Amino acid sequence: MPDIDLSFVLLSALTLASIYGLLALGVSIIWSSLGMLNMAHGLTFTVAGYGAALAATMISDNGAVVLGAGMAAGMLSGLFICSVAFIPLHDKPNFVVRSLIATLALSLLGSQVLLWAFGPNARSLPPLFGSEPVVLLGMTLLPDKLGAIGVAAALMLATLWWMKHSRTGLEIRAMMQNPEGAALVGIGLRSTAMAVMAVTGALAGLAAVLLSQTYFVSPFSGTTPLVKGLIVALCGGLGSIPGALLAAALIGTLEALTGALLGGQYVLMTQFTFVIAVLIVRPRGIAGLLDHTRE
Amino acid sequence: MNSAPVEVLQVSQLSAGYGPLTVLHDLDMTVYAGERIGLVGLNGHGKSTLFRAISGLTDWQRGSIKLRGQEVGGIRTQGPGRHTHRIVRLGLAHMPQGDAIFPGLTVAQHLDCGAYTRQAWRERAQRREALLDIFPPLKQLLQAPVGTLSGGERRMVSLARGLMVDAVLFLVDEPSLGLAPKISRAVMDALMRIDLRNGAMVIAEQNMSLLEGRCTRILGMHAGSLKGSA
Repeated sequence: MPDIDLSFVLLSALTLASIYGLLALGVSIIWSSLGMLNMAHGLTFTVAGYGAALAATMISDNGAVVLGAGMAAGMLSGLFICSVAFIPLHDKPNFVVRSLIATLALSLLGSQVLLWAFGPNARSLPPLFGSEPVVLLGMTLLPDKLGAIGVAAALMLATLWWMKHSRTGLEIRAMMQNPEGAALVGIGLRSTAMAVMAVTGALAGLAAVLLSQTYFVSPFSGTTPLVKGLIVALCGGLGSIPGALLAAALIGTLEALTGALLGGQYVLMTQFTFVIAVLIVRPRGIAGLLDHTRE
Repeated sequence: MNSAPVEVLQVSQLSAGYGPLTVLHDLDMTVYAGERIGLVGLNGHGKSTLFRAISGLTDWQRGSIKLRGQEVGGIRTQGPGRHTHRIVRLGLAHMPQGDAIFPGLTVAQHLDCGAYTRQAWRERAQRREALLDIFPPLKQLLQAPVGTLSGGERRMVSLARGLMVDAVLFLVDEPSLGLAPKISRAVMDALMRIDLRNGAMVIAEQNMSLLEGRCTRILGMHAGSLKGSA
């Protein structure tokens, strides 16, 4: 067994888990409340990266400003996707397939527009959390990873709390569980959809800014995160929030371990093998049967 | 109170159905304030479809539906449920067959969901207490997920959720369906106790004996049209 730095692997695993968790949470909430598999979630991710990069060069490279700009850009992108791919299509027959195609088209178009507007060169974001390593219990911890874990975990918890305790959260959960019942208690599908897409867009924006501490922002940088977010959501059981978080932790750990033990080129292979294995054993995902979700 | 009866609901020339199927054929119906109407008829003769057309849930519909004078009908060929929330907010409380509950939410959360107007939301604690007096079995179940409740308890949750706001028109679809005779009588008693204020209530029911002598009018429904009244 090669000599691996356990603290480094652990930290990488947690960082990846929290970022995948943010994306999968969005994919999962959108699927279960709107019945739409959002293929443009990666576009939101990319748009948010560019929003953050623009804010860093034009306004200030203060961490809070960059984070805020990324989340705001993600929110706008989510609202745009909602108004183009959800509002006009949701009451048409075969909505699931139509929206899948519409969001995929939006995603491809959006990447080309970004390529046309900003060129193919990758951009980097300024470090948000300083660059001084932190030494804790004899382990050297990198501040970007610690910051990413902290911010992602805090906002994920805030989202879960909001879903559980706010009135809008109650309306979203009602719509997830019975769209017709929700309409019968005066919950407007379209306004609730806008709220869902704004919140999940902001989460994707946060993930984009956090991941850009390690990777670059480029027109196609949303593709891999989209794939990861989708497989994590699928593996956790589409529509289940606890399942998505558990799957994010497992898949993040797997990625970090594969990277350290076998090398980065094997990451997608082990990940997909794992997801396929899970889906063979539990076709509805890890928590697919435990949660009350849309059939 | 003026003497001229106030129309809560005016349905005229209403046809509605699902896909190629026409269930309602040019139906006319008027409901006046303060009325409690029993709607009886066999399965598949359009009682539920009439309710669903009023709340905009059928696949397609044609004809005028006026809720307190406001037109909520018209011609629609698609989009079931698209306008439902707006019709509901005009003062419609539709308690559908199958209860349309949210299995993972608790009884208390259902009641909160039902209090969608600003006034009802502010008074939701008092309103909940008032409804628990009407449906006492729910008292111990406030924090239980509704998916774990029995059929009778779910029916009570569904009815109580619809009663959280001051609707002008209550449409209750087969409140006794699937319930034991004793429980269905209790549910019906609760419905009869509700103060309608200036609203009206229409109860679709197959079991005539539950309604007899307790309604203003009983309308018969046959093959998508109203046939006579008693």
